[in-house]
Amino acid sequence: MLLALRDVGKAWHIARTGERVAALESITLDVAPGEFLILLGPSGCGKSTLLQIMAGLEAPSSGAIDFPAAAGGHGKLTSMVFQDYALFPWRTVLGNVAFGPEVRGVPRREREERARRLIELVNLRGAEQRYPHELSGGMRQRVALARALANDPQILLFDEPLAALDAQTRRVMQDELLRIWTETGKTFVYVTHSLSEAVLLGTRIVLMTAGPGRVKRIEDVPLPRPRLATGRAEAAMLERLDALLGEEVARAMAS
Amino acid sequence: MTASHWRQIASVLGLLLLWQILVQAGRINPLFLPAPLSVLGAMWEMTRSGELPWAVLVSLNRVAQGFIYGAVLGVLLGLIGGAVRWVEDLLDPWVAAVYPIPKSALFPLFLLWFGLGNSSKIITIAVGVLFLVLVNTITGVRAINPVLLKAARDLGASRLQIFVKVILPGALPNIFTGLRLGAGMALILVFITEIEATKAGLGFLLWEAFQLMDTRHVFVGVVTFGLLGVATTWLLQWLERVTCPWIQRSN
Repeated sequence: MLLALRDVGKAWHIARTGERVAALESITLDVAPGEFLILLGPSGCGKSTLLQIMAGLEAPSSGAIDFPAAAGGHGKLTSMVFQDYALFPWRTVLGNVAFGPEVRGVPRREREERARRLIELVNLRGAEQRYPHELSGGMRQRVALARALANDPQILLFDEPLAALDAQTRRVMQDELLRIWTETGKTFVYVTHSLSEAVLLGTRIVLMTAGPGRVKRIEDVPLPRPRLATGRAEAAMLERLDALLGEEVARAMAS
Repeated sequence: MTASHWRQIASVLGLLLLWQILVQAGRINPLFLPAPLSVLGAMWEMTRSGELPWAVLVSLNRVAQGFIYGAVLGVLLGLIGGAVRWVEDLLDPWVAAVYPIPKSALFPLFLLWFGLGNSSKIITIAVGVLFLVLVNTITGVRAINPVLLKAARDLGASRLQIFVKVILPGALPNIFTGLRLGAGMALILVFITEIEATKAGLGFLLWEAFQLMDTRHVFVGVVTFGLLGVATTWLLQWLERVTCPWIQRSN
């Protein structure tokens, strides 16, 4: 096991009203090496917050997060890919990808070599010297992925990375993500609210309840790859999850 | 050259020509409005005698020193104030109090404190530049998308690295806005500080000519100030292009 959440909760304090609002409650979850774990739930279920806690960018209000493998490991275990790419506009593609190694003190030649290799991996060769504003949305997300890989993390955390893309580009990027997941052997934790994306990509799906977010159910996805959006087994799984998710959306809208 | 360019050139040349003709025809008194060619002649004489280049040099020295002191301090305080909450709390009331004061109104105070020499002029210019750069730098730091700070932290950047590699470049576009406004302010202030208590500089030259009712030389001063304004704008635009190649310009 790479990462373990034990009874994790997160509450926000709203200064204006003095209220405490629970975003997450008693989340217990293990992340296994090499899996493609999907966090699926309605908007506002706290799945992004959960991801930030895994990244160490937010501290849990209660419970514990364990990195059993980190004891003998090297540096930070996770890297994040943000929904709106979060690229540095003043850095070229190469400069963005090399940022992590740069702040960790990797010498220039070595980090640029590593960055070039990753730019090639995400199929952006030739775009090294371009600035983010000169790239399309899909290309930007490839840069963000390469940048996250540059620190050689064990876990990549994705926060709805394809939500801002058009349907065609999203399809292509889903295949790209699967290819890179296979080629690198990294563990992916992937937040989405799209059922079909969850069924197409995941090895395991964590279905979350509406706020406060809890784990409603964990489903293995035993379907063989390549999976098809139109496949019969895929459709059956999708239908079953849809019913479960529908209950949660209805509950979220009623509360 | 587009049609638009030709119209612009025609507009300038046409008006100058009309002006020249009206003065030569005796329809305008050259004591009030000397002809363009006679102003150009006076400029050439003063350049050959060394009077004009010397005046420009004296004024530019004051402008450059005041601008650099004000800009450096403004950027530093602005970056730290924009990034660190308690520093901002210390700065805020002073900015609110001093920003609205026309900086020329502070010149008499600085004359009393720092004497008639160069320092009182340079300090007046520096203060004028400082506040414009400071306010714009703080705005620039605020305008940085917080998710960029989060990404930098996630990739392992320390607080200092975030400051140098994210906050500084992120605020640069607004810093340049402050510098452009500051450069304009510096030229205004060098003129005002050279009216009194000096015997050199472009402002002195202009004001002395006015007191002698020498309109030709007043015009020489006005035109030269205009040229300095254009030159500083170009210099800053060039600097911005070199340091911020990622900024997309709409024009």
